[in-house]
Amino acid sequence: MTATLARATAPPTAPRRRRRPTRRQGVAYLLLAPAVAVLAIGLGYPVWWQVTSSFKEFGLAQQFGQPAPWVGLDNYVRIFTSDALWAVVLRSIAFCLFNAFVTVAIGVGLALLMRAAGRWARLALQVAMLLAWAMPMVAAVTVFKWLFDWRTGVVNWLFVRAGVVEMHEHHWLASPLSFFLVASLVIIWMSVPFVALSVYAGLMQVPEEVREAARIDGASATQQFWHVTVPMIRPVLAIVLLLQIIWDLRVFGQIRLLQDGGAPVGDTNLLGNFIFELGIGRQDFAGAAAVSIFVLALTALVSWPYVRALIKELDR
Amino acid sequence: MSPRQSRTLTRWTFSALALVCAAAWAFPVYWMVSSSLMSNARLRSATPSFWPVNPTLSNYAAVVEGSSFTSALRMSLLVTGVTVVAVIAFAFLAALAVSRFRFRGRTSFVLTILLVQMLPAEGLFIAQYKMLSGAQLLNSVLGISVLYTAAIVPFTIWMLRGFVAGVPIELEEAAMVDGLSRVQAFLRITFPLLAPGLVASGVYAFLQAWNEFTIALVALPAESAKTLPLWLRSFLSASANRGVDWGEVMAASALIAVPVIVFFLFVQGRMTSGLVSGAVKG
Amino acid sequence: MKILRFAAVGVAATLALAACSSSPSTPEPSGTDAASPTQSETEAPAPEGAEITLWLAGGDTPDELREYLKTTFAEQNPGSTLVIEQQEWGDLVTALTTALPDAANTPDVVEIGNTQSPTFTTVGAFRDLSPLYDELGGDKLLQSFVEVGTVDGKKYALPYYFGSRYMFYRPDIWSAAGVEVPGTLGEFTEAVAKLRTNDMSGFAMGGQDWRNGISWVFAHGGELATAEGTTWTSTLSDPKTIAGLEAWQEVYQKASNLPATDRDVAYWEFLNDGTDGAAPPAATIMAPGWARWSIGDLTTNDAGDEVRDGMADESKFDIFALPGVDGGIAPVFAGGSNIAISAQSQNPELAENLLRIIFSEEYQTLLGQNGLGPAHSDYVSALGDDKFARTMIDTAAGSKLTPAAPGWAAIEGALVYEDLFQKIAEGGDVTALAAEYDAILTPMLNGQTS
Repeated sequence: MTATLARATAPPTAPRRRRRPTRRQGVAYLLLAPAVAVLAIGLGYPVWWQVTSSFKEFGLAQQFGQPAPWVGLDNYVRIFTSDALWAVVLRSIAFCLFNAFVTVAIGVGLALLMRAAGRWARLALQVAMLLAWAMPMVAAVTVFKWLFDWRTGVVNWLFVRAGVVEMHEHHWLASPLSFFLVASLVIIWMSVPFVALSVYAGLMQVPEEVREAARIDGASATQQFWHVTVPMIRPVLAIVLLLQIIWDLRVFGQIRLLQDGGAPVGDTNLLGNFIFELGIGRQDFAGAAAVSIFVLALTALVSWPYVRALIKELDR
Repeated sequence: MSPRQSRTLTRWTFSALALVCAAAWAFPVYWMVSSSLMSNARLRSATPSFWPVNPTLSNYAAVVEGSSFTSALRMSLLVTGVTVVAVIAFAFLAALAVSRFRFRGRTSFVLTILLVQMLPAEGLFIAQYKMLSGAQLLNSVLGISVLYTAAIVPFTIWMLRGFVAGVPIELEEAAMVDGLSRVQAFLRITFPLLAPGLVASGVYAFLQAWNEFTIALVALPAESAKTLPLWLRSFLSASANRGVDWGEVMAASALIAVPVIVFFLFVQGRMTSGLVSGAVKG
Repeated sequence: MKILRFAAVGVAATLALAACSSSPSTPEPSGTDAASPTQSETEAPAPEGAEITLWLAGGDTPDELREYLKTTFAEQNPGSTLVIEQQEWGDLVTALTTALPDAANTPDVVEIGNTQSPTFTTVGAFRDLSPLYDELGGDKLLQSFVEVGTVDGKKYALPYYFGSRYMFYRPDIWSAAGVEVPGTLGEFTEAVAKLRTNDMSGFAMGGQDWRNGISWVFAHGGELATAEGTTWTSTLSDPKTIAGLEAWQEVYQKASNLPATDRDVAYWEFLNDGTDGAAPPAATIMAPGWARWSIGDLTTNDAGDEVRDGMADESKFDIFALPGVDGGIAPVFAGGSNIAISAQSQNPELAENLLRIIFSEEYQTLLGQNGLGPAHSDYVSALGDDKFARTMIDTAAGSKLTPAAPGWAAIEGALVYEDLFQKIAEGGDVTALAAEYDAILTPMLNGQTS
């Protein structure tokens, strides 16, 4: 299955390069075998099921043994013509891009701070990053719910203490905008450490001499950053940004756990939650499969510039 | 003020700023631990306390006692252990193939592992269940480890690819000129240089497997086979039913986080240094 | 009661020993005082012995009852064992969806929310229990629950226990404010509106809490949906339903400080005094009977833990039934569960034996003694006859269920009523919302994907 998928997604013009001896090709295939096997076993059947179900009528009755007739593109038509999907798509893309860029911006800022700070301060910041990164998602969301609890949460208390009396018993999760604010805080808090530590590793590879030279040429700190540092850490920036986009578009658990406490569910669903609600909530498994395939295509589309660069690099 | 003095001054400013950021980032973790040490009545009070007043371990005792915590811990350790080992081994071999060999289907392979990461997992559960049930692997460590490995291995291949590419092949070739075989050269020269990358991917795999709960919900229906995130979830819903006891909930959260944090601090040195120097080389 | 609990602990302990020693992988002898069935079991395992699995939902069935089921089942079916697994309510539909069609892993007997039953009975997930029906109690079983489990006259799911909802309130606060226990629904709204302050809800109810909220619909003679033959129609726009929804909107807006997005939360903690004797966040709540044990003054139990005293001080904590529009008792939403055997069960005879135990006088009595409404009307008296039991039985008598439509679980899963009630709570125009949601709900009720 994976092989089929791979062939299907391969660029039309396969690279024609000098041939290596076939024995070396054999070794390569041997090295790939375990990973390909585990992918084929672990993802092959589920993905095949997903694709075929999206073209069938498949609900609870089919799950309990009724025949599942082919219905062609009906599921896709049904999904695409519902307003609900497009609202969720727009919301998810906005949420994803906002969080991805803010995460990367804060991550770069903290990485620069690590470079600029003294040894002990840097170590403290790194340990704090590790603590946040190591926090399991369920635990992290639970802690944030407690921080923002409308009755006994410390955030409201601090606001009231600071003189903002309207924040007494403020319901953070009750309106979509502040719900997403809390969700963004959790997600950014959890993802910044990966970005900050990666970018910091990248910064360490920018030779001191290059910056020194720029400084002697009279470049300001801002100019140094944009004209010297950024180009040198470009590859790492591109990767972490792409990963954040892919991951933030797939956000599911954080939203789900925050909704559990009572929230405007219809207005706070993202794509992952929408699929979950269709499949597990409404037992419309075919519809959920169709949306999943659509999300895959959407993510590929959003990340296409990077994917193209990657193909070029591989063919080089 | 001399330039030297001014530079020391800015360094101090940056250090202070870094400490403030560190405190802000660590605050939720601190709040969890501190709340877990206080009685529920204390936590309900209108004025929060910023350090544990009359610290007590009774929340931890209440959480561990009479619940399936130990069996969940055992299950989580097993599943995570198997997954991490499999992921590192498989991803390492595949990364070698991708970055050291040119072969037909290489681009397609890399594209595929990129694409499978983009597939939403929320729609897969029926198929995953059917597959495991058909293979009689429901509630088993092996079954869920296969699913986890398949889910995690794409990203780790990608991560390790950069690390392997970052070790110049010339180093190995030089060693071979000195009379080592290719395998020996690889083991003695290249492998040690890859250690940070392997640690980083191991950490990634560890986190993913330790925290996952959607697949676990489907693959481990039996109570005796629950992992820690599932345990925390049922603990949370039981607690919500009685009126949330934040002290106990925070203690339960801390119990799940602690093994990860210990593991992180343990590998910390190697990881931060080499973390994504692999990714740097893209 | 206490003696009974104590005895049960003894049974449980013996059973735990028995469970250990009957496992073939532990050959070492069990304690000398181990129950005798254990030994006969290890010596001569019955060849036809099998293991059956019962799924219970949430923690509603107390441990004492679980142990009773396991012990009794093992006694009556030598060589066979009963395994009880708990599924969380939130994950129950998912777990049933995957496991029930799977002959190799299906649970044999499952507890299922009464309103979730039609979704599974209509797709053939359960075994027909009609042949057993009369033996298990027949017409004496709670009929509204039997009906939600019936398809084309065949009975697929039977009542397990029922619950009911009534009002818990603070007499001290009510009388200080000069209001009295109301005789009609209108008086109730007036009273709790008067009690409300900035820091205290007169009546605490979340805006998304439709399970409590539909009592107002029922009280006004409204229905959520009606069936003609097998076709369901959502009837929110019926004038009676609209009157009920508007009355609920009024009471929420005038008396509750809770967010419009809160669901059926743990209201009972709102009724207790705050720390350092601060006033409680609510003067009145609506909750199932067992909420009683989370309400009251703090006291220390035998184990030394701080617990609530179960509303011992009647001058501070008391109850009443939600009054109807013209007095009497308003019909409330009947909580509770059904129980069914999986169609794929590999041991249907043993599963039926388990149902015989569940519907036996002993077990039904145990349910009642633990505050869960027994499904069999002969044993309802086991609930006792204090005010809690009487109010529960009275309110349950008039209580109503949600529509037994095939798409009901999908509606619950998609949180449609949560959305509707939230919008009503936020002050939306009820007539317009009713029309909008009728259009959404009618196809869903009939199991059509929208």
